[in-house]
Amino acid sequence: MSEATSESVQQSNGRVETSHHPETDPKRRDKNYYGIPPIKRAHWTWQVPLYFWLGGIGAGTQLFATVAQLLGHKDEALTRVSRYTVLLTMLLSPVLLIWDLGRPERFYNMLRILKLRSPMSTQSWSLFTFGNLGGLIAARQAAEDGLLFGDNVLSRLVIRLIPARLLTVLAMPVGLFVGFNTGNLVSATSVPIWARNWMLMGPTFLASGVSTALSWLSLVLHLGHWGEEKTLRVLHRAEKAVILIEGALIGASLIRMSRWSKPLFSKEVAPLFVGGTLIAGIAAPFALLAGKESRSKSMLASVLALAGGLAFRFAIIAAGRKSADDPEAYFTFASGESAPQPEDKI
Amino acid sequence: MATGFLTDTTVCIGCKACEVACKQWNQIPSDGFGLTGNSYDNTGHLSGTTWRHVAFIENPKKRRLTGDVDLVALAEDVTEPLPGGAELDALGRWAFMSDVCKHCVAAPCQQACPTGAIIRNEFDNVYIQPDVCNGCGYCVPACPYGVISQVPHDGRAFKCTLCYDRQKDGMEPACAKACPTDSIQFGDVEDLKRRAEERVRELHEKGYTQAYVWGTPEVGGTGGIGGNHSKFILMDEPETYNLPRHPFLPQEKVKGGVIASAVAATVLGAVVALAFRD
Ligand code: SF4
Ligand code: SF4
Repeated sequence: MSEATSESVQQSNGRVETSHHPETDPKRRDKNYYGIPPIKRAHWTWQVPLYFWLGGIGAGTQLFATVAQLLGHKDEALTRVSRYTVLLTMLLSPVLLIWDLGRPERFYNMLRILKLRSPMSTQSWSLFTFGNLGGLIAARQAAEDGLLFGDNVLSRLVIRLIPARLLTVLAMPVGLFVGFNTGNLVSATSVPIWARNWMLMGPTFLASGVSTALSWLSLVLHLGHWGEEKTLRVLHRAEKAVILIEGALIGASLIRMSRWSKPLFSKEVAPLFVGGTLIAGIAAPFALLAGKESRSKSMLASVLALAGGLAFRFAIIAAGRKSADDPEAYFTFASGESAPQPEDKI
Repeated sequence: MATGFLTDTTVCIGCKACEVACKQWNQIPSDGFGLTGNSYDNTGHLSGTTWRHVAFIENPKKRRLTGDVDLVALAEDVTEPLPGGAELDALGRWAFMSDVCKHCVAAPCQQACPTGAIIRNEFDNVYIQPDVCNGCGYCVPACPYGVISQVPHDGRAFKCTLCYDRQKDGMEPACAKACPTDSIQFGDVEDLKRRAEERVRELHEKGYTQAYVWGTPEVGGTGGIGGNHSKFILMDEPETYNLPRHPFLPQEKVKGGVIASAVAATVLGAVVALAFRD
């Protein structure tokens, strides 16, 4: 194996072109078994990150609508758009998740049992609850809008029986749970880049979800020329602040992930993460929002923030795939103090 | 009574009888005929269709042959000094290791499973109920040892059952039955633990001081996992066998993550509320 220098061994991730075990290279220090990944990566393809994004939009929308209601801010257009948004995201999310199953016809087994330690289980239950609450609220809205075949017994019954304002308040915590649990879902695995960031993954996903939701609301209201002046102003201010928080949380996550964050900057993922998330999804919309307010600028910022949020979800999933496939990452992670331990305080 | 495996890699001869017996008994689909080009191991790793996997590790020696070489001693890898100052080595040796599901005491896969398909059965083994699993695949990245995967064309996740069906009939698992050198031993976990310690002591006495037990709460079954019901006697660093030294229970931090997220949610709610102030 004369040609197999230590560099070539490192680059090929242990797969040397000889019949010898890479260990025969005396300069090689990191031990592994032919570079074969010691853990298995998640199979998640596009459905799951797309769901993460939609769930975040639903969660953030519910947050904004509830806060507006609690503060006595009346804007019918906002109420309508947010209720239908939640309905739409909660219709699409289960479709995507069931699509992703190996045995889709058995999806209902998710509701066979509740396990507080399994984010996948709590995710299913919170989606189920949030979806039903959102559905009821949207039904009332539809009845008020005359979408239930006009003014008939059914729509009058719906309006009478569904306490939409109460349900809105109840739905907020469940919605928020859906929003941040997507982050906890990925961090409760053995994948180094995800597990390492267990504390900030949920908050970061939620902040990104709220930011995309605010952008979505402002985009739709601008597009339809709906909504009151004040709503748009509030959205603008909130968008700016939340994008800042999101950026700070992503920065803190990178520090926390330390050496295991490398996959985010790899050839394949960097365009999504650096280009799509950091530049197009955070820096650019913030710059647009910080300047003088204008409709077109605000709309452009919204589109960018929405796309950035989607890119972020895809980047995190793609980076997790690379992280799981890298024996060096896992072995350094699972060799001592780096991995979370039960006795850790934080 | 908890049952488990003790895999003593020092006597494994790499015959793969366990792999074959497991495939046959459990009627696991084939993995195809791929050649990895890595040693004689063409299976590579455990998966939904490989519940026993024999790793082939080449341990070349660094020294050159000199003097009067005792070929028999060489093959037996004798470590004592030889008469006439004859040098050993240069041929190196093989290390084999038959890997299997670790049947963790606190099993990450089981905690991850949202359907409750993964249970602990009456033998305290970690068992996937195939009639419940809906193939969500969440157990796959949860396992710290890369044991489970979803089987293509089936969709569900599979792994070693510790031959639940055979145990119910009072038989030992197929791999342990087939193993010609007793490298795979099956029995009561406490019993196996004692046997493992004894064997390691014996090996140390013979001069193989590198031997140790992997799968204890100190090494291999760490970080909240609380040890493994499948233990291994290893002669090299865990990573050489593609095993982590200090894995962790990923669900340990779910509570902390939820608390941190709840704080973040409150802050975000406050920020949005503040934005309403003119
Ligand atoms: S080794 Fe993996 S598959 Fe086996 S019990 Fe532990 S977590 Fe589950
Ligand atoms: S794939 Fe099956 S066994 Fe694995 S977590 Fe999902 S339901 Fe449970």
